[in-house]
Amino acid sequence: MVDKPVAIETMKNGFLVVPFKLPQSAVLKSSHTGFHYTFVKKHQSKLETEQNSLFIVNIPLLTHLDNVKNVFNKICSQSDTVSHIEDLMYNDEFGLQEVDLSALTSDLMSPEKASEVRYTPRNTALLKFLDKASLDNCWDALRKYTADSRDSLIEWEYQSPTVATFINFYKPIDVEHLKEDIYTHMKIFQQREQESKEAAQSSIVDEDGFTLVVGHNTKSLNSIRKKILNKNPLSKHENKQAPPSAVDKKVKKDFYRFQIRERKKLEINQLLTKFKEDQEQIKVMKAKRKFNPYT
Amino acid sequence: MSTLKRRVSELSEIEPETLSKRKFNDSREENDKIEEQHSESEGSDDENNYDDGKPHSGPTAANTAAQDIQIVRETAELFKSNIFKLQIDELLQQVKLKDSHILKVEKFLHMLHDMINEVPEWEEKSLAEADAFFKGKIVTIPFVDPKPDFAHTNYKVDYKTPDISLIGSFALKAGIHQPSGSTIDVLLTMPAKLFEKKDFLNFRCLHKRSVYLAYLTHYLTILIKKKNLDDFLQLEYSYLNGDRLLPILKLYCKPSHSEATKSEYNFYKTKFSINLIIGFPYKIFDPKKLLPNRNCIRVAQEGKDVPLPATPLYNFAVLSSTTYEAFLKFLYKTKKQTESFKEAAKLGRLWLQQRGFSSDVAHSGGLGGFGTFEFMVLMSALLNGGGINGNKILLHGFSSYQLFKGIIKILATTDFCSTGHLEFHSDTSSPSKYFEEGFQTPTLYDKTTKVNILSKMSISSYEMLKMYAQETLLMLNNVVQDQFSNVFLTNINKINNIKYDFIYDIHLPATGKGDPESLLNSRFGPMEKIKFITLENFFVNKIANVVKFALGDRVKYFEVELIGRKNTFPITKRKVYSNFSSHLNLESVKIKILNNPSESEKLVTKGPIHSEEPSPEAVAFKTFWGSKSSLRRFKDGSISHCCVWTTSFSEPIISAILDYSLKKHISEQLSIENGTTRYFQDLLPLPNLPGCSKTSVLSLTSYYSIKKSFDDLYRLIFETELPLSVKSILPVGTAFRYTSLCQPVPFAYSDPDFFQEVILEFETSPKWPDEITSLEKSKAALLLKIQAELDSKYGDKYKTFFTRDESIPNNLEITLLNILTPEGYGFKIRVLTERDEILYLRAISNARDELKPELERTFLKFTAKYLASIRHTRTIENISHFYQFYSPVVRLFKKWLDAHLLLGHLNDELVELLAMKPFANYAPYAIPGSVENGFLKILQFISGWNWKDEPLILDLTRPDDFTSTDGESELDAKTMKKLSEGLSLSQYKGIQSNFRSLRNGDPNGLHLQFFVASKNDPSGILYSSGIPLPIATRLTALAKVALNLIKTHGVNKQTIDLLFTPALKDYDFVVTLKTPVPLKSSSGIIKQSEFKNLANGQLLSGFPADISQMMDKMDPTFHLVKYLNLKYRNTIIFSSHRYIGVSGGDRGDKNVVTGLIKPLFKKDQKFRVNMDCNVEPVDDQIVKLNKDAIFHEIAAFARDLVVKFESE
Repeated sequence: MVDKPVAIETMKNGFLVVPFKLPQSAVLKSSHTGFHYTFVKKHQSKLETEQNSLFIVNIPLLTHLDNVKNVFNKICSQSDTVSHIEDLMYNDEFGLQEVDLSALTSDLMSPEKASEVRYTPRNTALLKFLDKASLDNCWDALRKYTADSRDSLIEWEYQSPTVATFINFYKPIDVEHLKEDIYTHMKIFQQREQESKEAAQSSIVDEDGFTLVVGHNTKSLNSIRKKILNKNPLSKHENKQAPPSAVDKKVKKDFYRFQIRERKKLEINQLLTKFKEDQEQIKVMKAKRKFNPYT
Repeated sequence: MSTLKRRVSELSEIEPETLSKRKFNDSREENDKIEEQHSESEGSDDENNYDDGKPHSGPTAANTAAQDIQIVRETAELFKSNIFKLQIDELLQQVKLKDSHILKVEKFLHMLHDMINEVPEWEEKSLAEADAFFKGKIVTIPFVDPKPDFAHTNYKVDYKTPDISLIGSFALKAGIHQPSGSTIDVLLTMPAKLFEKKDFLNFRCLHKRSVYLAYLTHYLTILIKKKNLDDFLQLEYSYLNGDRLLPILKLYCKPSHSEATKSEYNFYKTKFSINLIIGFPYKIFDPKKLLPNRNCIRVAQEGKDVPLPATPLYNFAVLSSTTYEAFLKFLYKTKKQTESFKEAAKLGRLWLQQRGFSSDVAHSGGLGGFGTFEFMVLMSALLNGGGINGNKILLHGFSSYQLFKGIIKILATTDFCSTGHLEFHSDTSSPSKYFEEGFQTPTLYDKTTKVNILSKMSISSYEMLKMYAQETLLMLNNVVQDQFSNVFLTNINKINNIKYDFIYDIHLPATGKGDPESLLNSRFGPMEKIKFITLENFFVNKIANVVKFALGDRVKYFEVELIGRKNTFPITKRKVYSNFSSHLNLESVKIKILNNPSESEKLVTKGPIHSEEPSPEAVAFKTFWGSKSSLRRFKDGSISHCCVWTTSFSEPIISAILDYSLKKHISEQLSIENGTTRYFQDLLPLPNLPGCSKTSVLSLTSYYSIKKSFDDLYRLIFETELPLSVKSILPVGTAFRYTSLCQPVPFAYSDPDFFQEVILEFETSPKWPDEITSLEKSKAALLLKIQAELDSKYGDKYKTFFTRDESIPNNLEITLLNILTPEGYGFKIRVLTERDEILYLRAISNARDELKPELERTFLKFTAKYLASIRHTRTIENISHFYQFYSPVVRLFKKWLDAHLLLGHLNDELVELLAMKPFANYAPYAIPGSVENGFLKILQFISGWNWKDEPLILDLTRPDDFTSTDGESELDAKTMKKLSEGLSLSQYKGIQSNFRSLRNGDPNGLHLQFFVASKNDPSGILYSSGIPLPIATRLTALAKVALNLIKTHGVNKQTIDLLFTPALKDYDFVVTLKTPVPLKSSSGIIKQSEFKNLANGQLLSGFPADISQMMDKMDPTFHLVKYLNLKYRNTIIFSSHRYIGVSGGDRGDKNVVTGLIKPLFKKDQKFRVNMDCNVEPVDDQIVKLNKDAIFHEIAAFARDLVVKFESE
């Protein structure tokens, strides 16, 4: 039985430990009452978009802006202040936005470069406030809440999906909506493609007057293939053998006597090394008791 | 140590006479001499000793290299490959008899020899006098049945000192170490003066021998007591090779108290036992009169003109008793001429043992009649000729491998039973010859002694031997995969249900009626008695005949085994008395069957053609089948006698046939049980289709229906006018390869496999967008076109809609066109373009490093789903036509995985490949011929699969049929043809090297456990990457537990139920869910019992008018678990039933979600921002997993579905 949250207010690295009471659950035994702990710290960043933010670690399940607002307002009201929350950023609970395939395949559709996309680690988010005053108010309220309001802990209210939520994943897409979506998207895409083509044509003209018309994600399939096929994870563990070059193919291999001699030597050596390898292998197998017919 | 070795090898150099009486005594001294000689010559020997792994101590390095090259070249020529030779050497080293054991038992043998010589001689006695002599003594005379009538016999019995010699493998030094101990055969030949010329008749010589044996036993017990050996020495009567006509005395040591173990003669630890075999002098009887076709037991009969039947078993028992020594000499002589004789004999012994063959008489059931002795005689015969012109089949200079393979090849390709036989001369006066004339019994005939060596074999045991030889020959010819362990190391007898497809137990009614004939429908009169000697032999023969006629080509092979047959009895008893029945020395009978899947389920047993004048065949057919037999007109107009059977979902037709025919021909009262097949087959989900409970488990009709429906749709799509024309539409769903857990049932849309996947490819176009979202959108645009066309033209029949697809992680833009056909099936179509692969690859190269593994996973998923699935489906579909039981087996395996909550973690393709293992790489077993056999073999494979060190490389080709070919060239051509289709050596090597380089980076298999490769996927990682380590190890552990359960408790209803019960206690917490709508009936599954009650009224009949209502009957728990796994992927592994219609209780509305917390998170950790884990602080730096909060989150997340939440 845990009645009280852990008596730690701040972690060593400056995170405030903000406890919430867990609600009663019909199916869980009462011994499972406890607390959820969220870790909060003031976010420091030079970026304009990330000013006046709190960095939050360990956000409860299915949290979104509305219930964050709700809970933080309660905390603030305990200290009789107000603060205005503007946005909950980078909260990607299920990791669905972790990989932006579109941006990784082309820079046409995503405004920023893939390397410049901002993100926070899983299970963390930024809570952006309207202004500095809101942030400070909230921060003070949080400190107070963690420090002395051990008795008046706020109970976290989980958002529960319904059966319908889960079944909706099977739902057909509305055809009109789909058409509309495709239409608008493709329009933008074609427009961007056109723009980038023009940009490329106008910008890169070399000294001889030749124009480079392809970007770094070349469009011709064959030229790309060679470049990226070695990225194929399936062939990662394959032993690559260089194909014989045209010159090698033409050379006669049994013209000089020394060639024949060398070849024979090589063959015998191969045979010997194979034999030695086999012996080694047998030793290994023997050590593993691979020769017992009675197991 | 090496001195000892040499001495033992030198022991074999002793002339055969040494083994006889005179030198028996002084062989010890000789041994000592030999020892001396050899300790001198040891140094020089070592240089030649190349294969014991010691460093070479040769004079110069160059010399050694030259020697090595010589050896390497030789072994490559003489053996299959170097590694094969090394393996053989190592194996023979393993099974060598311990020298200390040999010395120990030899010491006893010498003492025994002296003891036997001490037995006083006797005076001629009549049988009555002899009987009186044993009155009041411990020992009883082991008379064979029928016991002689003392009053009417006037021949005399006597005991005179025998001629003693060692025979058998121990004498030939061809014995090997066996865990259960080996037997040493000592032959005591009765002196010739005890016999008269006509003693071979009417059991006379056998009775004389029984008295002789009893007299010897009597005095041995006295002598043993006198020498104080009775503390540990145990005497027992036994039957040589299980032949009731050949009683012998068996000596062995029993476990005893410490005092007795000290005795120098106590050889208990060596586990040897000694058989004292009483033989007759060589050529004492005229061998011609004992030929198999002669009668030697004269019985009174009514009609004088009818000749008495031949008595082959009796004749063999008498004649072979005179030839023990003759054959020892023959074998010894051949051994002296053949360097590798001993090794080949040992290989042969191992090979036979691992397949369950022995020298025991097969006429009383089992795989008998071919043990090491027969193997050695056959080898010797082939070393002395064996061809049609007497040309030699084997040469004396052959290596052990060549000898072994030569014998296997002869056994595999030459018929010794129905169309030919082999004759040889054990005095080697003339070469052995093969004759193309068969005697309908296995024949390997010695012209010198007139003995047919294979007399002890039955036809069915011979056929089985031939089959194993053929399988082994294929293995030995396999140049691609190393088959060494399959040939020699695997004991295939361990679990009967794995060795055979079906096993039937026949129980005779327990009777006290005292009359054996009341048990059986047939007479066991004097004629039968002299022919079969024992009731058991008669019984086995009768059953075998009935089974053979009744099942015909429905089965490939069968074996009749008597359970509880005793072979030894105390020296106070006259013969074996069974505990179970007063007449039969057995408890029950097992019929073990290797099924022939292509014939086993045919409905009609076709008999001879009907004619006005009934032919003898027709009469026989009618009498055999009785009321079952009927006349039928066939399509070709012919009218034949035949029997018609009905198929059933739960039982093979074979069960019904056996039940009918055995009851009719053996006994009304017997019961035939097969405690396994029904239970296994009933575990498969029964589809709610008309007549399903009467549909054979092998029927694929339901799959053909969905294929037919697809073909219609395919044509329509191809006909539609599109901006880009369709190149191909390829089905890749599991139903198209017959592997979906539930059979396709129209309108059963709750089945997760209801919508079968189809891949559509358009013609190549340069216009596909070079960006993935836009690419998916343009695909969707084309699918919209198809949908519009279908709607406008066929909107009344086909219904269409679009859904999102989440099967490729990180690509949320995939849109699928779903089509419902008028026949009630569903397909979902995805589009593949030539640009997809490039884009996914580009994403890998553009991604920052920590995301690369995730993108590689995405790529693998894409490849598996879009590219490899096409090949996979085509391959599996093709070969499953040759492996008829593959489809039901893989479905049962999927069910097992789902019962244990594992299926959700494994790709369908991976599961299917694992299930293919017992079919494609079936050696050394047979290809599975029943659901249970295939399923248990999969479990056996997984339980023994050390995936850390071994890849699974599958040769996905159809099985090669072994048709016996005469010429070498034909076989080679076949091999070549096979090679061109299957895996080539270089492909195989390539895959192996892929595996090695994978393991170089991941030696313990922490990242990838199952390397499963085939021609379709040489990388071996396509379907098995991304399986969490605990899931992989759990699969192995579960298979191990399952196999142990079966090993210890057998296969029966209880164990089968246990096999399919998930062990939920192993998980950290278990959440029980209940869906608002039961999904079983809408998954198209029905129960046998339900079916009978409801008839056809309950068939599913249509889709809802509003398509979005279909979603109400789909499984919400799937997405619940999916999102839980996404949310907690760093800390917890969630598992659940994937098919709740199958695994979700009686109504299909239950599911469980189990959680396994990763071990790393069971410990306290340092607080980090990116730890991605719900934690609570322990102090200001350390945190631990906040289980309570997580449980609350899960409970909240599953609020509407959860009914119970259990945790420790």
